[in-house]
Amino acid sequence: MEPTRDTHYTLVDLLDRVLDKGVVLYADVIVSVAGIPLIGVNLRAALAGMETMVSYGIMQEWDQKVRAQWSDARTESGLPVAAGEQLRLKVFGSHYYSEGIYSAWRLGYFYVTDRRVVLYQTGFNGTLFETPLEAITGLAIQRDNHSFTDSERENLCLSLSSGNIVLLHALDIYKLREAIEDGMSALGLTAREIPAPPVADQSAARFLGEGEEVVYRGKMWHMMEPLMPGSTADTWRPGHLYITNKRLCWWYDFDEKVLFDVPLEGITAVAAETRKLGSMLKKDRVLDVVYEAEPGKRVACFSGDELPQWEKALNEIITRQGVVTNEEDTDTCPQCGNEAPVRELLEEGCSRCGWVSPRLKKQTPEIAI
Amino acid sequence: MQQDDKIQVAPMDKAEVMVTGGGRYLYCVADSEDQVSLGPIGIDGNKVYTIPYRDICAVVHECPAEPYNSTDREVVNSWVLAHQKVVDEAWARWGTVLPLGFDTIVMDKDGVEAEENVRNWLQNDYDKLKSKMEKVRDKAEYGVQIFWEPQVIAQYLADSSPEIRQLEEEMKSQPKGIAYLYKQKLENALKRELESKADQCFRDFYQGIRGYVDSIVVEKTKPGAQNTQMIMNLSCLLPRDKTAELGEELENLNSIDGFSVRFTGPWPPYSFVGA
Repeated sequence: MEPTRDTHYTLVDLLDRVLDKGVVLYADVIVSVAGIPLIGVNLRAALAGMETMVSYGIMQEWDQKVRAQWSDARTESGLPVAAGEQLRLKVFGSHYYSEGIYSAWRLGYFYVTDRRVVLYQTGFNGTLFETPLEAITGLAIQRDNHSFTDSERENLCLSLSSGNIVLLHALDIYKLREAIEDGMSALGLTAREIPAPPVADQSAARFLGEGEEVVYRGKMWHMMEPLMPGSTADTWRPGHLYITNKRLCWWYDFDEKVLFDVPLEGITAVAAETRKLGSMLKKDRVLDVVYEAEPGKRVACFSGDELPQWEKALNEIITRQGVVTNEEDTDTCPQCGNEAPVRELLEEGCSRCGWVSPRLKKQTPEIAI
Repeated sequence: MQQDDKIQVAPMDKAEVMVTGGGRYLYCVADSEDQVSLGPIGIDGNKVYTIPYRDICAVVHECPAEPYNSTDREVVNSWVLAHQKVVDEAWARWGTVLPLGFDTIVMDKDGVEAEENVRNWLQNDYDKLKSKMEKVRDKAEYGVQIFWEPQVIAQYLADSSPEIRQLEEEMKSQPKGIAYLYKQKLENALKRELESKADQCFRDFYQGIRGYVDSIVVEKTKPGAQNTQMIMNLSCLLPRDKTAELGEELENLNSIDGFSVRFTGPWPPYSFVGA
């Protein structure tokens, strides 16, 4: 094997040597940049990127400036206060902000003064939330399972005279609550205890339709069906199952969206059984929900706590759908439009096209799964 | 000085030179007392000449006391190649050179002209420079980079590691969910095996190469081309007429399945003349 200097690679090899090596001349007569001799500063930037720049100390000034800025943001108060306004409490916390499709807990410092409650973010010099004490009409403590960490935490809910309810969180929400209540009573105001709003709202608010309400909610694993035939992607994923007054749906925690969605009428059977899940899940009870889909029926599998309660709740829904009506009432067949007595349609199916109701189908043994 | 006269003629940005003060761009120190011009072979066509002190000389061109700067990679490459060309020229002419890194510029300072400062440096560092020259006399630097194809090696390791074979066996009988966990376990085991294999190769190859060279500097490895990974990056110093034996050793490594070797040089001894 012969050494070579001819290829493209040797240029890289050469650059390494010429840019970073060679005799080092230690003398104050060397042209230097920012106190760093042996230069080619921008050269190195072009070739090696920012990291190298910082490691060579070139970016030190910039780096220090940025750091200083951040340490200011961490340490300093900064809330512009009106003359005579008195601070009662300052505590690190957050406010649940939701606008359109965007929602997040926004962090800052709560300032409770003798006039108002403010959440202030020093780094951006911004007020994230503010209300005068007079506008607070009610208080509540809400318990919530914080997503992902699975830890329970408590939020402070304030109802405002505008009719809005806001969610606040702080390191010590009782202290925050106390400061607000003290501040209000100093003004001769009292806040009444209000019922804590349901917790589900944070994610549910993002998919609930008009007039839709959450009836039942819980953490639930869902076995996603393979995306492609033959794929092995049918893994269990964590999320929350909801029964609303309109549908059964499952919210996927990671993607933060609804991935399973079926109208209540579409549910034809439900069964909880014990079987091996073939994964690291500890629970071995599985809730199978049979529902109408195109084409034919499908089964969705869930696993989690309180499966018997879920089974019961879903069975009630199915039963309720079964009990319909008056003997004399007629309806049209959903498939062909044939007019027939409701009872006949439901219990025997359509005499013209052979359509049978989901409820009837579920009783037929040969369910194609 | 006749060289100075020549340079004054060059159509340079005189205004800039005046404003920033003068400088001398250093290419290398050569083993010669010659005071000569090498012609306009420098960066941007600058005239290159020598500044001698006793029996050594600095190879320089005259420039403003400002570093060469560009964010354009092509421009940088052309400068670096020009720098290298001058060092090569000096190397061919005088046999032994101590190359400097790119953009080393000595400037006027406190009323002392750049050229005088270069000479002062040669004087002050004379002993050091001379002993470095002795170290690299008649020798050259060679780059040795060894790559492997992780996929090929991994396959080999998977076939030969009892731990991995057992994991693969167990995985087959598992349901999909658990099989996924096994897959991760398998990947981790394979990664560990690969790392220890890389360590072992490094030691073995290093031992093999060491016998054929005078001196080795271990460099950082860099990303390889597609499907390959650099596991070793060495700069080796050896007599220019002794490359055949090293080449033979590297040929052996190159012929191992899944491995390849890049052998570059001869370079001026950049890696062996620093502090």
